[in-house]
Amino acid sequence: MMTAPDDNPPFRKVLIANRGEIACRVIRTLREMGIASVAIHHPVEARARHVREADQAVEISGETPVAAHLDIAQIVDAARAAGADAIHPGYGFLSENARFARAVAEAGLSFIGPDADTIALMGDKISARQFAVDHGVPVAPSVMPTEDLAEFTRQATAIGFPLLIKAAAGGGGKGMSIVRSAEELEGAARLAASEAQRYFGDGRVYAELFVERPRHIEVQVFGDGKGGAIHLFERECSVQRRFQKIIEEAPAANLPAGLRDEICASAVRLAAAANYRNAGTVEYILGADGRFFFLEMNTRLQVEHPVTEMITGLDLVRLQIEIAAGRDLPFAQDAVTANGHAIECRICAEDPERDFLPETGTILHLDAPQAAFLRFENALDRGQRVTADFDPMLAKLVAHGPDRAGATRRSIAALHDLSLLGVKTNIDYLARVLGHPAFAAAELHTGFVVQHKAALAAAEPDEATRDKVLIAAALGLRDFRDLILGVPEPHASIGRWRN
Amino acid sequence: MSRLQSSINTASADFRRNEAHNRRLVAEFKAKQEAARHARPQRDLDRLARQQKMPQRKRIEMLLDPGTPFLELSSLAANMAYGGESPSASSIVGIGMVSGREVMIRADDPTVKGGAWYPLTVKKIVRALDIAMENRLPVVHLCDSAGGFLQLQSELFPDRYMGGRIFRNQSMLSKMGVKQLALVFGHCTAGGAYIPGLSDYSVIVRGTGAVFLGGPPLVKAATGEDVTVEELGGAEMHTSVSGTCDYPADSEEHAIEIGRDIVSQWDRLPRWEAQREAPEEPFYDPAEIYGIVPDDIKKAFDMREIIARIVDGSRFHEYKPNYGTTLVCGFANIWGFKVGILANNGVLFNDSSIKGAHFIELCNQNNTPLVFLQNITGYMVGREYERRGITKDGAKMIMAQSCSRVPKFTVMCNGSFGAGNYGMCGRAFDGRFLFSWPNHQIGVMGGDQAANTLAEVKANQMKRNGGTVDQRAIDQLWEETRKAYQEQLSAYHSTSELWDDGIIDPLDTRNALGVAISASLNAPLGPPGYGVFRF
Amino acid sequence: MVLKLDLDGTVHHVTILARRPHLVLSVDGRRHVVENLDEAGDGSRNLTVDGEPVAFARAGSADGAIIRLNGRSFALRRLDAAAEASAAGGGANVVRAPMPGTVVVVHKRVGDKVQRGETVVTIESMKLQMKLDAPRDGEIAEIAAREGEGFDKDAVLARLAAPAEG
Repeated sequence: MMTAPDDNPPFRKVLIANRGEIACRVIRTLREMGIASVAIHHPVEARARHVREADQAVEISGETPVAAHLDIAQIVDAARAAGADAIHPGYGFLSENARFARAVAEAGLSFIGPDADTIALMGDKISARQFAVDHGVPVAPSVMPTEDLAEFTRQATAIGFPLLIKAAAGGGGKGMSIVRSAEELEGAARLAASEAQRYFGDGRVYAELFVERPRHIEVQVFGDGKGGAIHLFERECSVQRRFQKIIEEAPAANLPAGLRDEICASAVRLAAAANYRNAGTVEYILGADGRFFFLEMNTRLQVEHPVTEMITGLDLVRLQIEIAAGRDLPFAQDAVTANGHAIECRICAEDPERDFLPETGTILHLDAPQAAFLRFENALDRGQRVTADFDPMLAKLVAHGPDRAGATRRSIAALHDLSLLGVKTNIDYLARVLGHPAFAAAELHTGFVVQHKAALAAAEPDEATRDKVLIAAALGLRDFRDLILGVPEPHASIGRWRN
Repeated sequence: MSRLQSSINTASADFRRNEAHNRRLVAEFKAKQEAARHARPQRDLDRLARQQKMPQRKRIEMLLDPGTPFLELSSLAANMAYGGESPSASSIVGIGMVSGREVMIRADDPTVKGGAWYPLTVKKIVRALDIAMENRLPVVHLCDSAGGFLQLQSELFPDRYMGGRIFRNQSMLSKMGVKQLALVFGHCTAGGAYIPGLSDYSVIVRGTGAVFLGGPPLVKAATGEDVTVEELGGAEMHTSVSGTCDYPADSEEHAIEIGRDIVSQWDRLPRWEAQREAPEEPFYDPAEIYGIVPDDIKKAFDMREIIARIVDGSRFHEYKPNYGTTLVCGFANIWGFKVGILANNGVLFNDSSIKGAHFIELCNQNNTPLVFLQNITGYMVGREYERRGITKDGAKMIMAQSCSRVPKFTVMCNGSFGAGNYGMCGRAFDGRFLFSWPNHQIGVMGGDQAANTLAEVKANQMKRNGGTVDQRAIDQLWEETRKAYQEQLSAYHSTSELWDDGIIDPLDTRNALGVAISASLNAPLGPPGYGVFRF
Repeated sequence: MVLKLDLDGTVHHVTILARRPHLVLSVDGRRHVVENLDEAGDGSRNLTVDGEPVAFARAGSADGAIIRLNGRSFALRRLDAAAEASAAGGGANVVRAPMPGTVVVVHKRVGDKVQRGETVVTIESMKLQMKLDAPRDGEIAEIAAREGEGFDKDAVLARLAAPAEG
């Protein structure tokens, strides 16, 4: 779809402090808006898609590619040198780094995201939680972070079980555990403290009431930085493995209308109270009893933002850019409507049969289905090496449908037709998840993958399928093909004959 | 080209009697072949298994491209020699497809006296290499031989076409640019060592393969040196120290895999592009050949009925159909290849000889390979025919046939007697391949004729010497002569002595010719021209 | 010649039974008629197997192929005779010096299990360092190389234990 560039773009040039599919995603909107794009890249990714698609590219260095993408000074210098007037951080890397946001601002550039203080506020679980409590957003009963394990144990026991224990400064599931009885508590706390120290350099641990079979519901919000905020409805991201989302959808299924309004309203309240600017996501856990608790606020664009885009018809990156340039929210809450259902599948280089361990390889073949209701967000190239240098997420497949069942069917069909060969992926696994009756019945919770482990395992292929696979493989081997086609006449016609 | 009209009545008593007779002959042939291929003393088979060696035929199957033909040659060589001690002359020879290339495969048979070469083994190897030279077929040697069978050394070592000829032929092949590959699975001892030595490429299997001029016992006897097989000529030594072999293989299967890979590197020399059409199965059932060939060699039959069951679509363009009718000549296709066929329908007369000579010239002019289907009792004898010049007309046919530049193929379908054998491209005339049917008989004359002739001579002698004829002595001579002749006339005797390239089931004629004609196209046509025809 | 393909730890045999009038393949002894032979190489492909259309995607990997069929991906590994022989204890027993030089590092000790291609010793010769690898899977029976010591061409630097008789 081609759109004429905006008559009066808010920026002339934007540097994207990211890579991969999200960099390509941002470049697409920048191009639509008539804004020049600047990509950054480590030498190992000099020929990557985001580098080729950007109008300009700047090489950054670092001991590892990830280190380069985390080098604030170097990236800010690159933006200045390239003449960019704003930086989009994407997600991950420096997107929720308050020092980065500050450095960008101090360099006289616009940061496409919230201000540094908001990032700092929401980036610390404790302060974020306190802020939520202060503004009437429900939080799970918890023990405040401490390094005093005896005090920790006393308070934790008072809340009752089950309890979720985690590092105060943590994220990504590191140092997290569920404790179901008082006996397990002390050991778990000690372990969490040591892991917290090891991974985050901060030994404080934190515990909260653990909600059994919780659903992960999150609300997309936008704030104008002046106390104005709206929501773009919720998303459900309950299907997770190793504490990370793999399937997200919007809207959440089977959510009573009143509860949906309540959750969304609390998210807007939080954003407004924080004078939140730009895109953010307020995450909750939702219990089977309808109680929901604030989890955290992500002060950036989410990986799964496309599902919101597909049901609302809005371009979230465009909104981000316009707000970053100081413009007001372009519409009021009641102008935001949702249509149909959207599902996102995260395609990862991993082996579902081996506890989702990351896999490496080379992209040998890529053929993605195309349709108006599909988005295949990726930055993949044939011949590209998939290494352990970056996150194992390779791409996102997003499908829209008139209802949840339709979106599910379209997603399964698209996964079926998606050929991404050369590295082991979870494509087939995702299709099995979407095809599981419990998914269709929306019996979702964050333990879904573990609960249905056996049913979601790959079945042995039947003999007919296996034979076809073997034939297809044999015909792909050059010498076997030569063996078929390279036999001259009349030997080929005579065939096997012995006298 | 129109289809031949068969006039065979498959329900007739003659047909059924012939069929039963010929099926019995073929069953006998197959039983002999099966025994030659597989009947071995258990201890030899056990030894092979102990050495973790595959039988040669399994190695050959692995070497060949799957789903392709293998034309085995002379499977019953030596079947009437050495008291049956050397089945198939202790070797396997045949033409097959390896990595898309037609090759001659030659394999020793380690299950017979350690793969030792008998005199007829040497003859079979020399013939195989002759075929390779004549048809420019690359050769793959599967080596596993103890060397010459010492008890019979005088019959396999000194003469022109004996042991040394193998190595001379190997050298000539290499000079001609025809590749050779040796896969050394077992021992290559004494002369046998030169097979890998003179091959352009060689692969040797670790542990079991060895190459040396003298094995450890000979070395011990000659110099007193104690040395193991591995040290003396093992894979490690030859591929890393002496350079006698090129590639070490970790197993027999690995050696075959390397061998196939080597062959796939070879250039494909330009083939002579013969006239070809899409192949078509014969319209008439080839199995009816069994009911057509009579149960008695003296009974005549129409060779067109055989042609109809060998050629594509049973289509035949007959040349001069009303002239010299005892020799059927005409064009047909076999597995698509255009051929000129000469087939005997009786004794050769002056007109049939001249027609044959003319047709051979037409085929040479037209670059059409020749196929001779022999069932010949000879050229006509008698005053009348000599006066008409039967000898000079027969000579014309022999001259035209001998000097042909196109490849020639002969199938011995029944009898082959007297000078008819010459005119119809007998063994001496360097046809590219010659196959026999199990019913085939060959000799200067038939057994009865020979006995009659000798009895006649003997009686005359008696008359000259004493005047009286001892009829009992004459009868005894007749019987003895006939019996000895009959044995020598048989196809099994011919094939034992390598007078042909093997007995084939008549039903295999079409495939055998298909593979043979295809092989012949690898060599360019010979020089044009003839000697002096006597007019 | 039979092609051996490993799929999920099971070895399958594929070979050609006939080429005309149709291609007929044998997969573990089962006959399959293959028509409309697809194009060579990687990509989305179509075949007819036993009269049924088969759509799939294929990519050749370093040691086999990856096939996507009916919404599932399968990784196949080709087995060659050398690897099989090596795993069965076939192959050379010695690590031999390709040229004269000195031993820089001895990586393995007697009794160590090694796999084909694992470095046993590193040598230096003509100012060039070179790794000498195990010729097959097996156990180190003897290490003749001493770090810092010199050796001649063709010297045996290490030896593998002979495969157990079985």
